[in-house]
Amino acid sequence: MTEPQVYVVEDDEAVRDSLQLLLKTEGYKVASFPEATSFLEAWSPDMNGCIVLDIRMPGMSGMELQKELVSRGSELPIIFVTGHGDVPLAVEAMQLGAVDFVQKPYRDQELLEKIRKAMELDAQRQDLRVEKQEIQRRMDTLTPREREIMEMMIDGNANKVIAIDLNISQRTVEIHRSRVMQKMGTHSLAQLVRMVMLVRNSA
Amino acid sequence: MSLNNGEMPAQTSAWQEQILLVDDNPQNLKVLYETLDGRGYKLLVADHGEKALNIAQKSHPDLILLDIMMPEMDGYEVCERLKANPATREISVIFLSALEDTDSKVRAFDAGGVDYIAKPFQIREVIARVETHLTIQRLKKELQERNRALQIDKERILNAMGEGIYGLDAQGHILFANPAAQRISGYTEQDLVGQDFVSLHFASAEPELRESLQDAVASGQWLRLPQVLMSQPGEAQVPVDLSVSPTQGDEGHEGAVVVFRDIREDLERQAELEQARRKLEEQKSQLAQFSRLSTMGEMAAGIAHELNQPLTAVSNYAQVAGRLVNAESLDRETMAETLQKIERQAHRASEVLRRIRSFIRKHASGKEQVSVATLLQETQLLAELDAAYPTDMVKLKVAPDLPPVCVDPVAIQQVALNLIRNGLEAQADLPMDEQFLCLEADLANDQFVEVRVIDRGPGLSQEVAQHLFSPFVTTKAHGMGIGLSLCYSIMQSQGGQIGHRPNPEGGSIFFFTLPVSQPSEA
Repeated sequence: MTEPQVYVVEDDEAVRDSLQLLLKTEGYKVASFPEATSFLEAWSPDMNGCIVLDIRMPGMSGMELQKELVSRGSELPIIFVTGHGDVPLAVEAMQLGAVDFVQKPYRDQELLEKIRKAMELDAQRQDLRVEKQEIQRRMDTLTPREREIMEMMIDGNANKVIAIDLNISQRTVEIHRSRVMQKMGTHSLAQLVRMVMLVRNSA
Repeated sequence: MSLNNGEMPAQTSAWQEQILLVDDNPQNLKVLYETLDGRGYKLLVADHGEKALNIAQKSHPDLILLDIMMPEMDGYEVCERLKANPATREISVIFLSALEDTDSKVRAFDAGGVDYIAKPFQIREVIARVETHLTIQRLKKELQERNRALQIDKERILNAMGEGIYGLDAQGHILFANPAAQRISGYTEQDLVGQDFVSLHFASAEPELRESLQDAVASGQWLRLPQVLMSQPGEAQVPVDLSVSPTQGDEGHEGAVVVFRDIREDLERQAELEQARRKLEEQKSQLAQFSRLSTMGEMAAGIAHELNQPLTAVSNYAQVAGRLVNAESLDRETMAETLQKIERQAHRASEVLRRIRSFIRKHASGKEQVSVATLLQETQLLAELDAAYPTDMVKLKVAPDLPPVCVDPVAIQQVALNLIRNGLEAQADLPMDEQFLCLEADLANDQFVEVRVIDRGPGLSQEVAQHLFSPFVTTKAHGMGIGLSLCYSIMQSQGGQIGHRPNPEGGSIFFFTLPVSQPSEA
């Protein structure tokens, strides 16, 4: 995982330079790009932070970059910077999953506030990603039999039913069950269900 | 031998020439009959004058062989009475007589005879003379028939014509008037015939007009008068196109034919057309206004973007400066740098505003002497504002030492901007680094500078190229097809031309010409 950064994609040199300077004085790590294609070249799946993206640029536009990133599975939050009269474009961008947009020239603090929220959101998403990866890692340690019994547990089957279904003794079921709970690092069935669902939903 | 009905039409396929033989002496009659019988003639006979007149009246023979010496009514009298009757006047009469004296012969000719055969006659002489006169008679009839057909044709043509026609004598009196002439003039034929044409119809006209008409009629000159007013009965007048053509007879100038056409409907249609044309002009100028506004509207978005960039940068730098000031230790170097950057962006914004001001200031000007290079450089800047991204997409190439042109610079910029916008749209599918247009200008001849907008788009189909400058022709999905038609109007008002030709390297070349400012205008 890389350190969270604000990625500024902006064709106007003065705007890019001033924004980079401003964000740096705010304490962010900043990487800036004069066009969409140079950002795409630098992109990697483990980037963290957010993108501040000018919607109108020559060559590949901000919207086109957004679509390309979505198709590559990027989850980086995007804040679109729009000009006068670009609200319809911004709405379309929001529908495609952009987190926010800001109209140029933006008010004092307006963009900074949006960037702060986007960074927070990405951090949360990052935490969630970490949690999911941990759950997945734990699930991967289960034996096939344990996994089978866990599936039946979260479907709400009692030990007795599981034992009959699998043609094993209730005692054996109880042993498997406690090993599942141990490996998954929880004591509550409710917690186990939440964990499995979390991984399944994002699969 | 049967008697034909005299009213029968002369020309039938079974036509036989009829000869009436008249003699009071049955023996003579018999000899004559036998002489001419069997030669293809239909022979009629009469043994006294009264009977001869009856048969002639009824049967219209072609020829009568008439004995002079008859009791009661002699041959002279019969002939005179035939000649006095219009129905029988045309029948040729050959006298037969034993009277040998010259007086008798002269009298026979005086009475209307065409020939004289002395008795006792030779059979061959009778046949020869009969043949000769029948031939003459036949030709005469054919001639009459043809004359009649010609007369009918002439009347039919005169009647059918929509144009009014007067025949005038050399003094300018009306000899005849066709039905259209009566309809247009408002007079009946009786009212017209014998009247003086000029005083009847042009009594209240300008003296010059009257004189030229009188001259034309009197001297046999051709005269054409488009749209003159002809008096009708009362106060009314009718507008006509009129021509006077002299008629020539054997003895030279005989009179004139006047042909005139009622042009009231034409004038009405013309007025309607004129009204429609004015309306169209009005709408076009409204559209021109609209297009100008919409260009301004499109430019507004571009201008806003242009202004937003430096303003955004200024705002960012100012925030940075604020933070630098509030920091525990002031970083003077960064502060100075940031303030300089703010100043630079402020200048950039004011430059954008200066360009807009100069555009607006010139917006309501008339024709003036302008430099083509300056005009096109400004157009290039405007095009870049217009296109929202200031990039290097219009490549300008102006020939050195071009003379100044005399145009309304705003109008010409509208045309050039329109062509540039079309060109950029036409090559929107090209790779980004190829999406530039060439804007070129050079001297076409000593009167015009030619400006070309050259794109590398897909070009135009021949069909579209043909109707390029008509309204509502468009290749754009959302185009109204008004732009080029407006450009055409503008170029006309500027005394230049606009056109299109294919770009040999692919794409289109749109060109327009600007009139070179003449020294007197300088």
